[in-house]
Amino acid sequence: MTWARYSLPAAAIVSITSPAYAMQYLSIEEAQKQAFPSATHFTEVQPGRVWKAEAGGRVAGFFIFDRVVGKHLYIDYAVALTSSGAVHSVEILQYRESYGGEIRSPSWLAQFVGKTSGSALKINGDIRNIAGATLSSTHVTEGVKRVLAAYGNRLR
Amino acid sequence: MAIASDKVRRARPLLGTFVEIEAAGAAKSKMDAAIDAAFEAVAQVHRLMSFHEDDSDVSRLNREAWLRPVKVDAWTFRVLEAAVELHRRSKGIFDIAIAATLQNMGLLPRPDGDPPAAVDGRLFDSIELLEDLMVRFGHRDVRIDLGGIAKGFAVDRALEVLRGFGLASGLVNAGGDLAAFGREPQTIHIRHPRDPRRLMCRVEITDEALASTARRFDLLSSAETTGSAIIDPATGKPTDVIDGATVRAGSCMMADALTKIVMICGTEAIEWLELHNASALLISSDGDVRITPDWHHAVHLAA
Repeated sequence: MTWARYSLPAAAIVSITSPAYAMQYLSIEEAQKQAFPSATHFTEVQPGRVWKAEAGGRVAGFFIFDRVVGKHLYIDYAVALTSSGAVHSVEILQYRESYGGEIRSPSWLAQFVGKTSGSALKINGDIRNIAGATLSSTHVTEGVKRVLAAYGNRLR
Repeated sequence: MAIASDKVRRARPLLGTFVEIEAAGAAKSKMDAAIDAAFEAVAQVHRLMSFHEDDSDVSRLNREAWLRPVKVDAWTFRVLEAAVELHRRSKGIFDIAIAATLQNMGLLPRPDGDPPAAVDGRLFDSIELLEDLMVRFGHRDVRIDLGGIAKGFAVDRALEVLRGFGLASGLVNAGGDLAAFGREPQTIHIRHPRDPRRLMCRVEITDEALASTARRFDLLSSAETTGSAIIDPATGKPTDVIDGATVRAGSCMMADALTKIVMICGTEAIEWLELHNASALLISSDGDVRITPDWHHAVHLAA
């Protein structure tokens, strides 16, 4: 077996228009149900941003909608906090980018499950940085950190 | 009653990247349950194999396995077995004991109190896989990182979970390492490694896995291209012959691992690709694209 060789002129690469790309995964309502399936209702604590999830009169947790800048455009995501203020889940709601990339793979970053506002979130530290997504990862890391700082200890 | 066009796709930040899972051809409630369970499998791999989590199997091994045998999860053991086998077959090119080099380069963090470890190409040989999922390191300087293989393994586990739900089709994509099942081919667009805003080609896959990797081009700190996060164990330096590689294989773990071998060996990797019944596309630093002959039909270059 031998390799077949192609020359890909730079012009050919450039001739592909980078499509604006938007991927809508979940609406806010759908994401709320995913995060707290047992919740009977969601009370809006801060309009369009924070909801309290209640199940049978008990607080199941909090749902926070946030938006960070990805490479160029906004990424909408939701952080679900447990009633004690720890991250229960992070779900992407909508991803928008002005380039194509691996269309099924807008890569960006981070693992936030179990983080509380006491634990440091940093690039190259507990959250891994990956090739080519430095801007996205920095902004997402800052986003979840901001959400935790703002709400982690305050929502009870 | 399932509606054929019904499809659910969700995304979560896991494994240090952005993991997308798609389910199709079943009732909505079934697809939701399948995706939840598949994300849980990915999260479990993250908990077990992250270099960054203090209580992961990998961190426990790096801290303690040189002192005493450490028991690991069956999944971690499977990945270690595969890594040992790949190391042997690739004559040392695939090396999970490269973490100390990555730490020295600032590409991996150094936990508090962890002194700089000596870098020695033979450290891998002191990794011992014992009975009952026990692992021992024969040398205190061994630091492993499963970053070159665990993401693919996680994709395989998540896909296995989706299959178990009896869906018509499914796809799992962990930041470019992906696998799919189902009758219809899935089209994947691949970025140009030198300019991630551009698409270089599209590839069709059916019931198989695809993994891509590229050198890091850090445009923020310098206009010059930087080295890759893939280290050639023979030199201890980042690879620089290949700008990017995409590998097709039966499992995503194998595709993921083989991209590392292609990045290090370039066209010489063909013998390992053949051995594992895999195909590849690589972009050398002179701009040429090379494709293994068994794969032309599936790759559509942008030109």
